[in-house]
Amino acid sequence: MRAFTDTSRTRLAGRAWVRALVAVVLLTTASVARAQSLLVPMDDGQRNHLKAYGLAFQAIKSSQRAEWFLNYRGGSFLLPDAADLRRRAALDGISIEPVSDADVSRIRVEVAGGNMDAVVLERAPRVAIYRPKDQPPWDDAVTLALTYAGIDFESIWDDDILNGDLSKYDWVHLHHEDFTGQFNKLYLAYRDAPWFIAQRQRDEATATRYNLPNVPALKKSVADGIRTFVENGGFLFAMCGATESLDLAISAFAVDITGPFSDGTPVASDADARLDWERSFAFRNAHIEPSPYVNALSDIDGHQVNVPARRQPLGTFTLFDFSAKLDPVATMLVQDHRTVIPDFFGVTTSFNKAVLKPGVTVLASEDGAPWVKYIHGDYGQGSWTFLGGHDPEDPQHAIGSAPTDLSLHPNSPAYRLILNNVLFPAAKKKPRKT
Amino acid sequence: MIGTLRRLPGAGAIALAASLLLSSATSLAAQDPASGAATDPLSAALAHEDAGRFAEAAGSYRLLLNAALADGTSADQIALALLGLERVWQQAAMRDSIVPVVQAVLAARPSDPIARSIQFRALSGAARDVDLHAAFMAWRDAAPAEAAPWREYVRTLMAMGRPLAADSVLAQASEALGGRRELASEVAQIAATLERWNDAAHAWRTAVEVMPYLEMAATFSLQRTPEAARDSVRRVLLEQPNALLPRRLLATLETTWGDPRAGWAALASARTNDSTLLAWSEFGERAEATGAWSVARDVWRALFDRVPDAATGRRAAQAALSAGAPAEALELSLRAGELMSPQERAQRLLMVDVEALGALGRAEEAAKRVRDADRYLDDALRADLAKPLVTAWLRAGDVARAREVALQAGALDDDQTIGWLALYDGDLVEARRRLVRAATRDAALTDALAVLARTRVERHTGLGEAVLALARQDTANAVARFAAIADSLDDAAPALLAMSARLATLTGTSADAVRYWKRILSEYASAPEVPEALLEIARALERDGDIAGATARYESLLIDHPGSAMVPQARRELERLRGRIPEAA
Repeated sequence: MRAFTDTSRTRLAGRAWVRALVAVVLLTTASVARAQSLLVPMDDGQRNHLKAYGLAFQAIKSSQRAEWFLNYRGGSFLLPDAADLRRRAALDGISIEPVSDADVSRIRVEVAGGNMDAVVLERAPRVAIYRPKDQPPWDDAVTLALTYAGIDFESIWDDDILNGDLSKYDWVHLHHEDFTGQFNKLYLAYRDAPWFIAQRQRDEATATRYNLPNVPALKKSVADGIRTFVENGGFLFAMCGATESLDLAISAFAVDITGPFSDGTPVASDADARLDWERSFAFRNAHIEPSPYVNALSDIDGHQVNVPARRQPLGTFTLFDFSAKLDPVATMLVQDHRTVIPDFFGVTTSFNKAVLKPGVTVLASEDGAPWVKYIHGDYGQGSWTFLGGHDPEDPQHAIGSAPTDLSLHPNSPAYRLILNNVLFPAAKKKPRKT
Repeated sequence: MIGTLRRLPGAGAIALAASLLLSSATSLAAQDPASGAATDPLSAALAHEDAGRFAEAAGSYRLLLNAALADGTSADQIALALLGLERVWQQAAMRDSIVPVVQAVLAARPSDPIARSIQFRALSGAARDVDLHAAFMAWRDAAPAEAAPWREYVRTLMAMGRPLAADSVLAQASEALGGRRELASEVAQIAATLERWNDAAHAWRTAVEVMPYLEMAATFSLQRTPEAARDSVRRVLLEQPNALLPRRLLATLETTWGDPRAGWAALASARTNDSTLLAWSEFGERAEATGAWSVARDVWRALFDRVPDAATGRRAAQAALSAGAPAEALELSLRAGELMSPQERAQRLLMVDVEALGALGRAEEAAKRVRDADRYLDDALRADLAKPLVTAWLRAGDVARAREVALQAGALDDDQTIGWLALYDGDLVEARRRLVRAATRDAALTDALAVLARTRVERHTGLGEAVLALARQDTANAVARFAAIADSLDDAAPALLAMSARLATLTGTSADAVRYWKRILSEYASAPEVPEALLEIARALERDGDIAGATARYESLLIDHPGSAMVPQARRELERLRGRIPEAA
């Protein structure tokens, strides 16, 4: 009896131990099963919006499934619950929320029922930034944003474009370059500055190498290479002075619009009339600024920051809402946790409405102002996006100013616009319904 | 009536307005606005204006104007009346009403500058650009040799936001007047508005040389110069001939741009005369006010070298002491003392001497100076001298003498003094009780309280000696002592090791620091100092070129201690290491 009892006790104890073990295993399995995905919120619950794009980019680069929930919690991402992603989120201070399949199903129901959509991110785009090897004394917001977010890119310059290397990339960014070849008319103030002299000599040497007569001719050839890249299906994102000068250079392919300080000849007297706006991306019927003493290229820019007598003050710009299901591209480009954003100056700060081509999609504008801030359009098989201004977190940025430290602006809503552009070529193409 | 006037053609209207104004002088009785008693029109106008009765005030001002015009000699009265009318009509939203009145005045006094400037303001405010230009031409024709019409027109155009137009007018003025020296400030303002900084600097230089009172305006204008263009401004203001005013302007600009030392360099190079010395003195005061003590010391020393004056010498000594140069403070104090009586020296320089000697660890000498000067000291000064003397003795490592001085000075009810003395003695209970009530907190006190809070030990002579070594600025000794007592104060050991490590870093012995941080990691893995240890070891590894090791430590901190206060620093260091934020930042 005693033995039986002891044995029974032993068996009972053994059973209890087994039950406890099973319970632990079940609980553990349940907890593992509960977190099958990571939701990266992009609303005010996110501690580092900019790095979150880098996390999504890493996921698609390593062939993991990633989705972009447009308009859901500020345009959040759904990523697999992978150890490498969790680790990177912890290192970069990115807020993540482990979610179960049931949670994801609930989110999908919510997305299906509102002005939201889920876009699959397929393949990390090959990114190129047009920037010289010897960087001039200003910085480029896109270079800053991509570097900070940890998104890979390569630098390309005139030689690469003239040699046809653009076709290696899906996405190219332009920032500050003056494609009219007038060096942003900085000749007026900086002609004796060593960096300006070096820049001029570098471009003249490149022109000579390609048997082109001068810098304007060189830059026009480069601009045409970029135009062809987009026409053939590339994605172009341009900011600051590159927006205006690229379209001017493309439309002035057959006419001299540059002053004698850049090519030795005066501006053609009928230059305005001979601009071919059929070739341009975004603008038409703009008037070039022929005076070498007025630091503006044309009347495309509404703010004219470098012409004190014409300069307009900064206000705020508002992002437009689009139908996520019908117009996913425009919706992707405006994903943000803020809709009203402080404006910032650049060589070209904004785009006058009067010179926009029909069919250009306005993504953001300033209420009551005759200009817009952020525009997008299709061209051939590709598309382009222009964002006015130089550095969203340094609205008065000047030559010689220190570069912006984005670790001080991890939630910058305007920098998010740049990163939307980097990520949207990764989206699996859906037929556009509008 | 004014509406009628507006419909009449030019000269006729003006003549009629003048006659109406004159006739109204007799019909409007000037009365005390409160009592009804008759008084002078100016007092009545001001009283009405103060009370917000603008229509009545306008009536009184017109009475005053009519009387002044009839008199024909009182320009001041005319100006007062016109300016008053401009004010009250503006308040009454009748700004245009001033135009015919001014025209009436100008018919009699075509180059009256007050009337013209009011006319310009009224016309520009009403956006009557053509009339404004005509008014300018009329004034210019009436006073062809004067700069005033040009100046006023340029200012009006600037106020209207038309700097390019103003620039053109200035070019014409240059031809008409044979140079633009009289209009230098306007030239400068336009150049600055158009961001032609080199031109602006030239023009402001000319302007302040002609009109020194414009220096403040020049400062405000040129301080907006962007960094890339500042060198050209500097070059212009330092150009020969060597004049004080441009250099003083540059000195102010440099200070505004955040570099008072460069400002002093500009000012110091001015040719020396009485005005220069006065400018130096003012600059020294500004440097003191902004806490730029080493610059202040240089300024006062330069002044003292030029004009040996006891007050200047004392100021130089005080500035040197505040700048952390006690030996130089003593030297300056000695020179200044030679210009003073013994009593003056005791009352004005002894405090500086005692503080300087204390900082140099020469407590015995400091005490002797106090003793020698005792007959010149009153009780208040004696009490004031006790604190630096206590510090001097502590710096010299003599706690007993420090306590004695404190006792004599009646400082034993001062929690901070007594708390520190108790800590030096190793009485941790008394130290904890007193220091926690200290009126002021500084880094040393915070460190001491942090250690005291981590142990329940009541008495520990070794800890007192370590803290005293620190007070004596014998940092190397303090590092060794804190580390040595860690084993005997086990509960506070990680805090003591961290203190040793921090001090070792300050003294440049980073290998020792790393050794202490590593001890914390290996022996006290759950201590709150662990994240700091990881951060500092990572930094040390990075300095030694072990990037992989540094990265691993930063990552360990971020992943294993996500709630630590060190996380933002670690993340920032990691970002920098990976080249993801600008190096300069």
